[in-house]
Amino acid sequence: MLGFLLSEAVRDLRRAGRVAVSAILLITLAMAAVGGFWLMTSNIGRAVSQWRDRVRIIVYLRQEPADGTIPTLMGSVLGTPGVASAAYVSRTQALTTLKRALGRDASVLDQLSANPLSASIEVTPSADAVTPEAARRLLQRLSALPEVEEIAGSVDWVERLSQWQRLLFMIGLGIGAVFGLAAILTVTTATTLVLHARRHETEIMRLVGAPELVIRVPLLLQGMLQGLIGAVVAVVLLVTAYRFAAPHLEPLINITIGLPRLSFLPPLGIAALIATGTFLGAFGGWLARGRREP
Amino acid sequence: MIELHGVWKAFSVGPVKIPALSDVSFRITRGEFVILTGASGAGKTTLLRLLYRDDVPTEGHIEVLGHDLEGLRRSEVAGLRRSIGIVFQDAKLLPGRTIYENIAFVLRVLGTPRREITARVFDALRAVGLSSRAQAYPAQLSQGEAQRAALARALVRKPPLLIADEPTGNLDDAMAAEILEVIKDIWIVGTTVVLATHQLRLATALKRRTLVLEAGRLVKDQG
Repeated sequence: MLGFLLSEAVRDLRRAGRVAVSAILLITLAMAAVGGFWLMTSNIGRAVSQWRDRVRIIVYLRQEPADGTIPTLMGSVLGTPGVASAAYVSRTQALTTLKRALGRDASVLDQLSANPLSASIEVTPSADAVTPEAARRLLQRLSALPEVEEIAGSVDWVERLSQWQRLLFMIGLGIGAVFGLAAILTVTTATTLVLHARRHETEIMRLVGAPELVIRVPLLLQGMLQGLIGAVVAVVLLVTAYRFAAPHLEPLINITIGLPRLSFLPPLGIAALIATGTFLGAFGGWLARGRREP
Repeated sequence: MIELHGVWKAFSVGPVKIPALSDVSFRITRGEFVILTGASGAGKTTLLRLLYRDDVPTEGHIEVLGHDLEGLRRSEVAGLRRSIGIVFQDAKLLPGRTIYENIAFVLRVLGTPRREITARVFDALRAVGLSSRAQAYPAQLSQGEAQRAALARALVRKPPLLIADEPTGNLDDAMAAEILEVIKDIWIVGTTVVLATHQLRLATALKRRTLVLEAGRLVKDQG
């Protein structure tokens, strides 16, 4: 029976002709739009999470503490809510680091009469403190310590990147929804044409007492087939575009958001795209209903 | 097998109700060959459509093959129709399929196992004398052959009841006689037949029980 239903669905798809091709094209566009924006936002998401891991807050101290007081000071910093870890950097260590960074130009530092750098503590915020609000609260708490002169560091730009990620995702969903709606309507039109073309078959089926399911399932299947084909084509297009564009874009992406390599959608994401396309087609097929029995 | 009690049917055209059947009652027992006759518009097709539940009466009670047609659910309607073979004036063959495929289509939609289909289709084609035309398309058949193919399609499920609505309406006398012979053969093996025709001469020639409709009323039940 399944073989019969499938063969009828394929026959119906052929009957729908150009309208079915339009429906497949629209589903391809819808899934390619959603998949494309998903691809972009998932990579931006990776950059955001990478940068969140790298966020550091530098706490500059008024004066270099005596060796005996460092453990107490570090204990106060580590005990502050929102601090995951902290490392003390003495004035000498800071100067050494600066010299290393300057490389061949490090000799300019020899002209200085004294070390101008402050001792500091490098604070790594805990995961729950890497939001603008939590970071502001952490900065306030650290500023309240009497040894602290100034604090540098912010997570605002990471949050802005994250907001861009959300915005892009919403744009992708919006475009996908518009194309998806158009695709549903086109599948419905294609199925309505099929209903008209197969009215004699339907009449015979009803007259001989075919179960309603046998009459309707081919319509649903041909809608699903349109959705499936559209979604698979969209995935093939996305893979092709990714393979072509990724090597050219990676250097730029690395410089701008610090992501060395782009990655494609995970297998589950691809499966979700194909399932969504198939569902859109099935829904369009289901919406087109023929005459009901009295 | 078939019982009608006080059946009325009216069609609404805007606010106006046009009566198609008025207070029709009769009973057909298993194995009968009944001819339903009357002029065009007398209500023959309306009456037959009520029998296979393609429409519902405005009033009255109908029982067919043990099914009380009032309030039948869709799945029960399908069950009823699986026991009825129906042929029309227009053979209603599917133009894109061969005669074999047209008949096999019915078995396939009803879920008949594939291995049984070929044998049953050829049995039905042999019964109507059309086995040599199995691979022909409907457009390649004469009207008489098309009607025989339609009969084969109705017969292939071996239904206990055959309803034929003007099956000879489009045929010349010789072809009509051929079709009636085939229908008689079907009846002889035990199938109950209800045949509607406006050709009074045919009805008389068959010498079977005849129900005469006039303007929706059953005016004669003879034989």
